[in-house]
Amino acid sequence: MTEFLTYVIQGIPYGCVFALVAIGLVLTYKTSGVFNLAFGAQAFVAAAVYYDVHVRHGWSRWPALAFVVLLLSPALGLLLDVAIFRHLRTASPIAKLVASLGLLVAVPQIVTIWLGQASTFGVVGIWWDDNALYRFGGKYVLDGKQMAIVVSTVVAVVLLGLLFRFAPIGLRMRAVVESPRMTELAGVNSDRVSAFSWMLSSLFAGLAGVLLAPLYASLAPQNFTALLIAAIAAAAFARLTSIPMALLGGLLLGVIQALLSGYLPPASVIAQSLKPTLPFAALFLLLLFWPGLRSAVQNRDPLSGIDPPPSPPVAASRGKFLTNATRIFGTVVVVGALAWLLTGATSYWVGIATTAVVLSVVFLSITVITGMAGQVSLCQATFAGVGAFSTAQIVKVFGLSVLPTMLIGALVAAFVGALLAVPMLRLGGIFLSLGTLAFAVMFDTLLAPLGWVSGGARPVRVPRPIGFVDDRSFLILCVIVLVIVSVFVIFIRRGTTGHFLHALRGSETAARSIGINPTRVRILAFAVSAGIAGLGGGLLAVQKNIATKEDYSYFLSLFFVVLVVTLMPSTVEGAINAGVGFALVPEVLKLVGVSASWQFVLFGLGAITYARHPEGVLEFQKRKSLAAIEKRLPERWRGPGANPPAPASALAVPEPAGSVD
Amino acid sequence: MRGRSRLKVLGALVSIVLVGAACGNASSSPSKSSGTDSGKNTTVDQPGVTKDTITVGGVASITNALNAPYGDIFKGVKAYFAMQNAKGGMYGRTLELATPRDDQMVNNLKETQGLLTQDNVFAAVGLATIFDFSGAAELGKAGIPSFGWNINAEWNKPNLFGNSGALCLGCAGVELPWMAKQLHKKTIGILAYNVADSKACAEGVKKSFDQFPTAKVAFYTDSLSFGATNFAVEVGQMKDAGVDFITTCMDTNGVLAIAKEARKQSLDAIQYLPNGYDQKFMDANGEFFQNSIVRVPFVPFETKPAPAGLADYLKWMNKQGDAPNEYTTYGWMNAAMLVEGLKGAGPNFTQAKVVAALNKLTDDTGGGLLDGIDWTTQHTETRPPESCSAYVKVVGSKFVPTFVPKGKVFLCFKRDQGVDVPPTYK
Repeated sequence: MTEFLTYVIQGIPYGCVFALVAIGLVLTYKTSGVFNLAFGAQAFVAAAVYYDVHVRHGWSRWPALAFVVLLLSPALGLLLDVAIFRHLRTASPIAKLVASLGLLVAVPQIVTIWLGQASTFGVVGIWWDDNALYRFGGKYVLDGKQMAIVVSTVVAVVLLGLLFRFAPIGLRMRAVVESPRMTELAGVNSDRVSAFSWMLSSLFAGLAGVLLAPLYASLAPQNFTALLIAAIAAAAFARLTSIPMALLGGLLLGVIQALLSGYLPPASVIAQSLKPTLPFAALFLLLLFWPGLRSAVQNRDPLSGIDPPPSPPVAASRGKFLTNATRIFGTVVVVGALAWLLTGATSYWVGIATTAVVLSVVFLSITVITGMAGQVSLCQATFAGVGAFSTAQIVKVFGLSVLPTMLIGALVAAFVGALLAVPMLRLGGIFLSLGTLAFAVMFDTLLAPLGWVSGGARPVRVPRPIGFVDDRSFLILCVIVLVIVSVFVIFIRRGTTGHFLHALRGSETAARSIGINPTRVRILAFAVSAGIAGLGGGLLAVQKNIATKEDYSYFLSLFFVVLVVTLMPSTVEGAINAGVGFALVPEVLKLVGVSASWQFVLFGLGAITYARHPEGVLEFQKRKSLAAIEKRLPERWRGPGANPPAPASALAVPEPAGSVD
Repeated sequence: MRGRSRLKVLGALVSIVLVGAACGNASSSPSKSSGTDSGKNTTVDQPGVTKDTITVGGVASITNALNAPYGDIFKGVKAYFAMQNAKGGMYGRTLELATPRDDQMVNNLKETQGLLTQDNVFAAVGLATIFDFSGAAELGKAGIPSFGWNINAEWNKPNLFGNSGALCLGCAGVELPWMAKQLHKKTIGILAYNVADSKACAEGVKKSFDQFPTAKVAFYTDSLSFGATNFAVEVGQMKDAGVDFITTCMDTNGVLAIAKEARKQSLDAIQYLPNGYDQKFMDANGEFFQNSIVRVPFVPFETKPAPAGLADYLKWMNKQGDAPNEYTTYGWMNAAMLVEGLKGAGPNFTQAKVVAALNKLTDDTGGGLLDGIDWTTQHTETRPPESCSAYVKVVGSKFVPTFVPKGKVFLCFKRDQGVDVPPTYK
């Protein structure tokens, strides 16, 4: 019993760490309707600035703390509200999630560029003495930074509870989240309330940042991101709504981790498997089996029905002349580029082109799952990894030929995708996204390090197929695969499955009424998407001659989604543009003498536009260009729907017309 | 209908190509010439070489999520080049470093290809990547002299040189058992992350104590999650087991969290830190590591009197205005090895001649900072006849050389040497 109590008490301080982040997530969701994946990024900003002013520039503790938590963090929250989230209040939860995903990718990069790649040791906290020891009952000890976390967590829960229960602003904040337009009809200034909400939640992120930073030897954004994802389990336990439950969830997570550490034999297989994955496994299980979550109502504006319908795609609305001109121009560019790559280009440029083509295949998986099925999966790089590791291991163990093995790898990934889809699709919306994220992190933590999966310390080498050994011929193979997969995706879109998916996105009830089985169609979409990603992952492993887990990490899944939805999520063209962008943008940045890190900033910030332009930035720009060009064309060359209005919100999903491709 | 017919034809063509290719895998890649011997010509016709300059380039994880200064490796390269150029360069040519390439942790292959095909360099000098060194095979195929920070298994190519020969993370060694005996430590705790390299390292340590049981391994875990900072339970269990010597295969986040928790729980143990030689880290956290032992794979900066190689290094780093650290040291050693290779190759040097010259060396000290690597065997030999390392003890926030008599730097053990046989010193 004493031992049990010891473990429980040892788990509480770290449980408060989870609780602090989970409370922040719940607070943001309650007050803004945004599941703010950027909360960790905001916390990192605060921690970095606190480190800079306090450690590097010698400000004393309290002015530095006041500046960061009371001034800078609320200002950042206000900026996010005014510049981004205020415009998304009526957008779908998924659109808001994508915007916060973009910030998660972009903001830490901006801070890292600003901080520089110098050592940031000596991070200090806010307590009088971080390393002072406080004994309780003669046996249990907390140090200064843990005291700061425990005290702050308790105070935060009390204050936030009072705010939501007794202060009128608490009620107004929840009303604005429910429907800003209806709230305004009741005479409430929703902009002002929204600004307050974001400033409050950002203040909380800032506090969390300066409290949590001293847990680590140095400042690094990945620490905050990992902590954020782990703490999502506690937020899910609270159904994203209850701050006391978030506290309880965080504490439970910390205590269970301590109990596992205490009672499981430290070198056992089960300890190796369970301990590192606990928060992510807990999130996964909570999403599947926590009844409150499945019945949780996602914020959706009751007045959203008044939004105008989406515009047709540009390709469907332009005239025959422009369509033919575009096709001729595109053909000339593609053929010219291929001719150069196959004859004159150095192996470096051939390698870049191959990467673009291979990633285009992976990105086509996002076209299927997000562009066609309307689901945001955050584990597409993981599916690519499943394909890559399967290919590598089968070739190594059974000595099979690479080409058919890549297809087997794709099938394995498709099978895993289907298995994952069965429970996940009961969730939908952001919970599906969070479930796929939990799966991706579990795969990274639990399976990817294992020897029989990735080769462990010695990654598995993958030979190139005979006939495609040299870089140029391998590029040809990749182009062939891309063409096949693109045609396959177009066939799906034009076929029954595509129409079913489109019908489901319009109205699931209506789709059911005409005999469409939503579960079967979506599982099929998930499996196809995972299979395509697996095929692309196999190709990537063959291109690099090695399958390494770093090429398929969960962070890449996030970046892939950001990249594709920024450019054009619903078309084959969009996936190919994303592949080319991923490969070429760093080179362009190098040419202009800018760090390649800026690509994360560019695409991350680009994702914020998703809510306004769910058709993608490229499609939006094409529409603008089309309007400008058609003004100058004779009337007989103009298309039938020239210059239609842009869609008003992300709730309006563009028609995935086959002619686009 | 016509469209479908075209698609069928396309499908058929594609099928023929794929089925033809599906018959097997490539067993090896075609080799590429590693440069021509200029014979008796005094003019050197080699990539990156003009009549006035020899240009080299490197690839490092300059931008990385750990915020670690991997890019500092190039500061060491530049400092050595500055010293060599002040002496007249090599064969009347100055040594220059092209703009370094940043692999951003995961683009090592691409950037290595860029180095080889875009940058027109004579050698790759300054290679330091966090994750797998996926460009190693390209460098191996190209035959270009390559120098970097060897922490990966991929370094076993005849033209790849670094701070050590081939690595074996999971192999047993006598060093730690010997150290435990010297320090009168009887109970060992071994901690590692649930990450392949970390686990392999922990297994190696455990095997060492199994083979040389100078102390008992009372606590062993390789199930810690990377990024975790809560080790209250593990430290409590080590305290209960009476652990007095903790060896870790972890990063600075992990070792610091363990040290802080040990102090909280009054665990009277020191740590052995294979990766802790960082003065900035110790300046900030020295109080938690008193008397802990840090392994240093090169001559520690604190060695008094400083051997000639170290004195040169510190002088030229100072002249350049950069503080020396582990990364700059590897850069300096990399550049020194290139110069050694050029000297061996002679005025009509080629890439192949430089590689051949280095591979004849049996005692390459990287400009006087290493104990000596035998390149005739150590590209592939993971257990050389003798292995040497320097060790420092943490006192205050300073590193103090330990285990060696005055005037010596390295503690050396013969292969298969027993723990009771005294080590030798260099």
